[in-house]
Amino acid sequence: MQAKLSALLLAGTILAAAPAKAQEITVWDWKSGDPAAASYYEKVKGDFEAAHPGVTVNYVMQPLDQYYTLLGTALSSHAGPDLFLMNGGAQAKARIPALLRLDDKVADLRKTVIGWPEFTGADGGVYAVPLSIQGFVVYYDKKLYRDAGLDPDKPPRTWADLARVCAAIKAKGAVPCFSMGNKEGYGAEFWFSTMAANEWTAGEQQDFAAGRLKWSSPQVKAILQSWVDAGKAGWFQDGPNSTTKFMDEYEGFMRGEDANTIGLISDVAHWKQFDDFLGADDGVFRMPSPTLAADKTEGDPMMPVAGGIGYGVNKASVHADLAVELAKALAAPAAMQVFFTDTGAIASNTGVDTSKVDSPAAKAILAWLKTKGVPTAHANATAKELEEWHRQSQLLLNGEATVDAAAARLDAVQADARK
Amino acid sequence: MGSKAERRIGLLFVLPAIMLVGLFRLFPLAWGFVLSFTDSNGFGRSSFVGFDNYVAIAHDPVFRDSIENTLILIATLPVWVMLPLLLAILIHQGVPGGRIFRAVYFFPAVLSTVIIGSIFNVVLRFDGSLNAFLKAVGLVPVDWLGNGATALASLIAVQLWATFGMSLLIFMAGLSTVSTELIEAARLDGARPLQIWIHVIVPALRPIIEFVAVVTTIGVLTSMFGLIYVLTAGGPGTATTLPEFLIWLEQGKMNQPGYAAAISMVLFVILGGLAYVQIRIMSRNANL
Repeated sequence: MQAKLSALLLAGTILAAAPAKAQEITVWDWKSGDPAAASYYEKVKGDFEAAHPGVTVNYVMQPLDQYYTLLGTALSSHAGPDLFLMNGGAQAKARIPALLRLDDKVADLRKTVIGWPEFTGADGGVYAVPLSIQGFVVYYDKKLYRDAGLDPDKPPRTWADLARVCAAIKAKGAVPCFSMGNKEGYGAEFWFSTMAANEWTAGEQQDFAAGRLKWSSPQVKAILQSWVDAGKAGWFQDGPNSTTKFMDEYEGFMRGEDANTIGLISDVAHWKQFDDFLGADDGVFRMPSPTLAADKTEGDPMMPVAGGIGYGVNKASVHADLAVELAKALAAPAAMQVFFTDTGAIASNTGVDTSKVDSPAAKAILAWLKTKGVPTAHANATAKELEEWHRQSQLLLNGEATVDAAAARLDAVQADARK
Repeated sequence: MGSKAERRIGLLFVLPAIMLVGLFRLFPLAWGFVLSFTDSNGFGRSSFVGFDNYVAIAHDPVFRDSIENTLILIATLPVWVMLPLLLAILIHQGVPGGRIFRAVYFFPAVLSTVIIGSIFNVVLRFDGSLNAFLKAVGLVPVDWLGNGATALASLIAVQLWATFGMSLLIFMAGLSTVSTELIEAARLDGARPLQIWIHVIVPALRPIIEFVAVVTTIGVLTSMFGLIYVLTAGGPGTATTLPEFLIWLEQGKMNQPGYAAAISMVLFVILGGLAYVQIRIMSRNANL
């Protein structure tokens, strides 16, 4: 009996001493190799592994231009990562069949983190944890404004102001009014959302997101027309359809070759990056539009804001619970503070302290976020509509399509995509 | 006819190749064929939709444009064949510096498509070196890659520059096999150099010309993705969208692997037809 007891005790001791079964959480993204984001990713990894003995976090960075192709291939062959980064809107929503519904798992984050709509499915469920907030503002070069005889401290607030600014810059003849990169159609994508921010009512934004507002409706055609008009007025530099937005457009702006550019508030083509090149000459304003929706005010433009990037959990993951925990850790205030400080991206977690930022551009953007944000229209379009808008925008700019023809084609794609 | 044992040994030698072809060629092909009849999004549930994807392709203006672009590409075939042939003839004639020219012409063939694309991005972009040259000599700059009238022609020119070296080498090899007695006899009969080339050398090279024509056609239909991706992204509009780029677009950006597989099958049938022509030509030449 004593011998049996000793054997049991020995077995128990051995079992207790054995290390917990090692588990690896694989995370895919296109940012973890970026030196600016290194501290953030290391902090989350270190803290998470310390809190979960036996668990290893493995970040796998993929090239952004091939990211969704690689992700789709991995997911379809059931070899996808446990957790993966996505852009909010069409890209995230297209992957909902592969994602774990997170509603009950992230209930504690709902009040402190913003940007959920861009990761919400048609069923109303939440499928990813937002990491950053994305939005569009116009950055301008104060030196070029001064050179054109403009007051650099009075950026345009109305469409008429903007038209005067562009006319003055054009008259000076040294640089184009706007830097525009539309080789992949992204220039038109950004333009679309900045126009919709002021030209559409909240109801029209919802109708467009639901596919009820057609591209041939007057509200949408007005945006297409403004794109054509800006091109015809010579606001853009020559060759926008062969200029990449990332990064030819922005590099040109940073070199002082263009007076304005529609930029971002996330961690690229944003205030921090432009501050580095333009210094105190980096100005920012909200893009006005030629017409105004009934619920907007002239001279007080709104800006498109949405959930930027976010982490979703692979439904097929065998470590789904741990992956959810890691997604929450990636969006936690302490980690997000590092992300914001190092990369300049506006974090989705409202607990991040932004009071120590001294950039005037950043201060302005942070203030606008509280009251000037409206939906990012293109983020609520389907991937098919966006791709067709890319094509049509190039034809419109080249004068190879009319607004009516482009809208009719986009209507057909919208109807097909919303079947 | 060898013994049974010999045949078994022979089979053993080709077995790895058969397995590789089966695993990496035939199985994906069969899988793609099955996929083309589904509405799969790649990772969710998919259901059988019969010929719906093929019907959608028939009504897809982007696919139609990609086929039109393909036909334009095929229409340029004489240039793809005649240019390297002409240069091969000149080098074979013994023009000064012929060896250097041969090396220079072949050099792009060893470069990766992405590198070629990056080089020509710098050359052809609106503020690129070609337009800088045009402006310097008083001409109007052209948006080579962003204009619907010039984008496809620019892509074709770059692809031609990048690949004609291989055809040139094949022609050079072919020229070395042309009977010198025949050429000498023609010369003695009073034929001028141009007549010798037209009536003696080119007919002798006919099998090589046919081979280059077919191989080039298949090559340009399946190898321009890299250039399109780097130089134009398929635009402006659909000006430079070819079927292979459209397949990537539907699969990689639209999450429509079922539809992409259906386009792949259509492209496969087109290429299968060309391959059939190739086999017929080769076998006809073998019987000459």
